[in-house]
Amino acid sequence: MKAKIPRPRGVLTPLIAVTVVLALFPVIGISRAWLLYLFLFFIYLSMANMWNLLAGYSGLVSLCPAAFVGLAGYTLAIGTWFGLPWYLGIIFGGIAAAAFAAIVSFPVFRLKGIYFAIGTLVLPEVLRYVLTIWIPIGAPVYGGGSGYTVKGIADVSGSHTYWMALAIGAASIFLMRYILSSKLGSGLAAIRDNENTAASSGVNVFSLKLSSFVIAAFVTGIAGAIFYVYQGYIEPVSAFSVRWLVIVMLATVIGGEGTEEGPVPGAIVVVVLYFLLARYGEISLIIQGSILVGIMLLAPQGIMGFIRKTRAYRYLLKFIARL
Amino acid sequence: MTLLNELATPIVMGLMLGGLYAVIALGLSLVFGVIKEINIAHGDLVILGSYFGYVAMTVFGIDPILSLIIGMPILFGIGFVIQKYLFNRAFKISMDATLIIAFGLSLILQNTYQLIWTPMARGLTTSYALESFSAGPVHVPLVYLLDFLAAIAVMLFLHLFLKRTYLGRAIRAAAQNRKTAHLMGINTDRVYAYTFAISMALAAVAGVFLGLTFSFTPISGMSFLIIALGVVVLGGMGSIVGTFVGGITFGLAQTLGGYFFGVAAQMLVAYVMVLVVLAVIPRGIFGR
Repeated sequence: MKAKIPRPRGVLTPLIAVTVVLALFPVIGISRAWLLYLFLFFIYLSMANMWNLLAGYSGLVSLCPAAFVGLAGYTLAIGTWFGLPWYLGIIFGGIAAAAFAAIVSFPVFRLKGIYFAIGTLVLPEVLRYVLTIWIPIGAPVYGGGSGYTVKGIADVSGSHTYWMALAIGAASIFLMRYILSSKLGSGLAAIRDNENTAASSGVNVFSLKLSSFVIAAFVTGIAGAIFYVYQGYIEPVSAFSVRWLVIVMLATVIGGEGTEEGPVPGAIVVVVLYFLLARYGEISLIIQGSILVGIMLLAPQGIMGFIRKTRAYRYLLKFIARL
Repeated sequence: MTLLNELATPIVMGLMLGGLYAVIALGLSLVFGVIKEINIAHGDLVILGSYFGYVAMTVFGIDPILSLIIGMPILFGIGFVIQKYLFNRAFKISMDATLIIAFGLSLILQNTYQLIWTPMARGLTTSYALESFSAGPVHVPLVYLLDFLAAIAVMLFLHLFLKRTYLGRAIRAAAQNRKTAHLMGINTDRVYAYTFAISMALAAVAGVFLGLTFSFTPISGMSFLIIALGVVVLGGMGSIVGTFVGGITFGLAQTLGGYFFGVAAQMLVAYVMVLVVLAVIPRGIFGR
């Protein structure tokens, strides 16, 4: 049903160039505020890319990014309490999220669409309860509802977390490009167009969906763990908060669900909104909810839906392809 | 024998609490069964019913149950508008759009409640809310009995409505096959709007009885939504009897879970049960 629009080609070189330039920012003395904006942009971008992979390309509207973020964050935090270095904690965080995704795929994948959404809605709530009740390592003021600090990160500077965020943000873009041009991507496209036809043509629907779910969990988990290295502290309410879902859904929907470039402008808008509306509390979320409803009703293809129709964008693509 | 005596109270309470869960889930089940859309804002709309009862009681001094005479038509109207202007349009875009719009709606509602009524926990503390009755070893708060009676009344009414009236038959026809119903001259868009409106009137009832039974906050909708989803999946979508059985199962799970594992874990027991139901009997007991 979606209009056929050519995917951007040959963008690899400019992407690498942009990444290198962004990597130089902390060295050439960009202000701390801007580094923070960009840090959040990279984190949100990687999570939105993964949500887009699920909702836009695999037909799985996942309501549980918070489960991956929180689980990875907790793996990192509790790992450092047991003497694990933080960089291994990030990796283990991603692995924990991926393993969790693989385990829960059994109840959650049994039926399509609606049932997947229900299953994923419950996961963060269950994890929040578990980590409020269960105290894996005790200390006078830590554990349970009051959460944990991340230990052993005294020598991690703002530039380090910035570079890590940049790395996962860029990696998520390359990963999306790779997935979409691989066998997995064409299989997912077949499933999205018609699941029954795909299944009868020999596409293994379950294993493809499982792959994209586990990949999304891994990357979202890594990004979440990096966020908690930056924050240095984790507790159950914010770790498994529905706000993570708001962020990734908003970024993807604003940019254009099911468009490869969508999360980039989407995540920019989300970061701008975050700082613009930070003062207003409830009103901020009312506005964000209204944006979700408004865009889905009026422009379901989001920003990229508009931009892709313009002639300037097509010339830009041609220009890049010739580089 | 002592264990049985001790268990008698949680079992009776669970059964009656099941009535409340059935009422909360009925609206969801109706929309689920007829329109095939999952309204993840349902919990928040139920809480809207609770706040309506709260305003009626504190501002106008009307008994919350009596206030339903005004509350049900108001939520009926809101539901009609929501379905007609939001979900009927979203439905034509894609399945995802409905889900995302419902999520946006849920955000808007929760934060509007916080803005108006602050994040503080509220309750509908009427004169009879704190009374309880005893029969042998069983001690049960009076409101739990009211929950159960309300559930029976609402289900009976809904059953008769769907069986006997023209609109009820039209709703069932649209549920069975949208296209055929449309060809038979049924305005399905309008029927959907009425279905959602009825679901909201049920949410008004659910909200008031929820407020009488538990205290609620602007974000309580989420936990009741999850339980209601579990009830609907367990009972099979669109089945009234199934919803009742599902409600009672979850009511029992919660009170018995609270008895055996402590109050802190009782919601966790209910949530894990939702996942188990999804894994083991995704089509429900009474599913078609």
